[in-house]
Amino acid sequence: MSVPRALPWQARLMLGLVPPALLLAWWQSQAQAGGARAAVFASLATIGVAAREQIASGALLGDATATLTRALTGFGIGGTLGFAAGVLLALSRWAERLLGPLLQAFRQVPMIGWLPLFALWFGTGDGSQVTVIAVSAFFPALLNTHAGIVQVERRFLDVGRIYRLRAVQRFRLILLPGALPLVLTGLTQALSFAWIAAIGTEILLGSGGGLGVTLQTAQTEQRLDAMLVTIAVTAALGFALNQIIRHLRARLLHWQPVGA
Amino acid sequence: MTGTAIPLRVGWRGRPATLLASLVPFALLLAAWQAMALSGAFPAQVMVPPATVAATLLRLASDGELARHVGDSLSRLLLGYAAGALAGLAFGATLALSRWVEAAFAPLFHTLWQVPVIAFVPVLILFLGIDEGFKITVVAVAAFFPIALAAFDAIRGVPAGFFEVARVYRTRLPDLIRRILIPATVPAVLVGLRIGIIRAWVVLVAAELLAADSGIGQMMEMGRQMFQIDVVLAGVLVSGVIGFALDRAARAVEARATRWQRA
Repeated sequence: MSVPRALPWQARLMLGLVPPALLLAWWQSQAQAGGARAAVFASLATIGVAAREQIASGALLGDATATLTRALTGFGIGGTLGFAAGVLLALSRWAERLLGPLLQAFRQVPMIGWLPLFALWFGTGDGSQVTVIAVSAFFPALLNTHAGIVQVERRFLDVGRIYRLRAVQRFRLILLPGALPLVLTGLTQALSFAWIAAIGTEILLGSGGGLGVTLQTAQTEQRLDAMLVTIAVTAALGFALNQIIRHLRARLLHWQPVGA
Repeated sequence: MTGTAIPLRVGWRGRPATLLASLVPFALLLAAWQAMALSGAFPAQVMVPPATVAATLLRLASDGELARHVGDSLSRLLLGYAAGALAGLAFGATLALSRWVEAAFAPLFHTLWQVPVIAFVPVLILFLGIDEGFKITVVAVAAFFPIALAAFDAIRGVPAGFFEVARVYRTRLPDLIRRILIPATVPAVLVGLRIGIIRAWVVLVAAELLAADSGIGQMMEMGRQMFQIDVVLAGVLVSGVIGFALDRAARAVEARATRWQRA
């Protein structure tokens, strides 16, 4: 047995199309089988019609905008606070001793598990949703920022001491650049958690519009076609967000050796 | 959605003295919370004092309600996780060992991986209803993806030299798997198994919030609907403790299974 050799790209492309094609064919046959099944399995044509309807009516754009706004607002709040808390905990022993254990304990709660509590406190509207999203983004940003600053090498700080850098300079010239790779890793994770939390809270609360709300409504109306269109958009947007932050990361870290 | 959490520790470093010191913040928080609740600045329904939450927790624990919810949640978690983990390991390994299978299935896998598992919840409800089958499937799906990816990466990460040695010795496939692939891939696979169980737990709680007649998520959701904030807080506490215990247990298994690396 040897390590399998790479296939030419044409073969890979063809092969890669086979399972989706089989899946679609099976799907279509289920849809046309009639009876109770067909009511659940929407035919491909129906899905196409649903997609066109959702685009033409502007519903899809509205949903996507609402979800993106929520996710990005929560990410902005949670990511910023997480970064600030990470810096604070890395630089102050007192802050770490006082807040570290508490934050560590709060982190253990599954992110959507906060929703019932926040819903009681802030109602079932945007307030609760954005808070849950912010909490989801907060912890990855916090943990990675903290780790990033803590692992900055001592000798860099020693050089800073020789140059008699003031605290602000030390932070801006040594700690921040040294921590940047991990900070960005944290923000990447925070954004993807924020996106998941946005969809999740929308499904659970089902109010205020958004992709998750549409998914939930489609489920109660047994509209698989609308559901699949929405899921495809959810996946595409999640992927796009991820790609954007990856490019930002590569740009900000252009000074790093490749592969770091 | 990739992104593997790195093992980080904020605060909390083993020794008894520091462990004791780390309890101080909790005491302060509880005291502040109790004072705030008693001050009457907030309506009693919104700000329940910690003593009430503790009493509720005790009541739920003694009348067996908590045990029922926790038991139901954990049995769903274990059944779904076992199915998802086995499927993930098998799928990831097959993908890694055959370029043909990889070419055929990797694009579909990576596309589906972009969808947050929670977005599949409404679809699964449509097909499976809201019974046990649905919850176990959600857990399995949540566990499947990170574990399949970890198994794939772990096996692809095995140095080519290992396979060459195996070829020289004419090692048969079962021996190749047992004596080379498994030992070489255990550390990375265990990380995947740990991430998988945490993801599975998070998704299970979300699924129970949405549709269940028991379980820790359902307990919280009922508490919310009946405006019993003490029950909700008890649920938050218990789900946090379970998440923590799962993470700790998985890390302990990891440390045990990779002892030889440090030796």
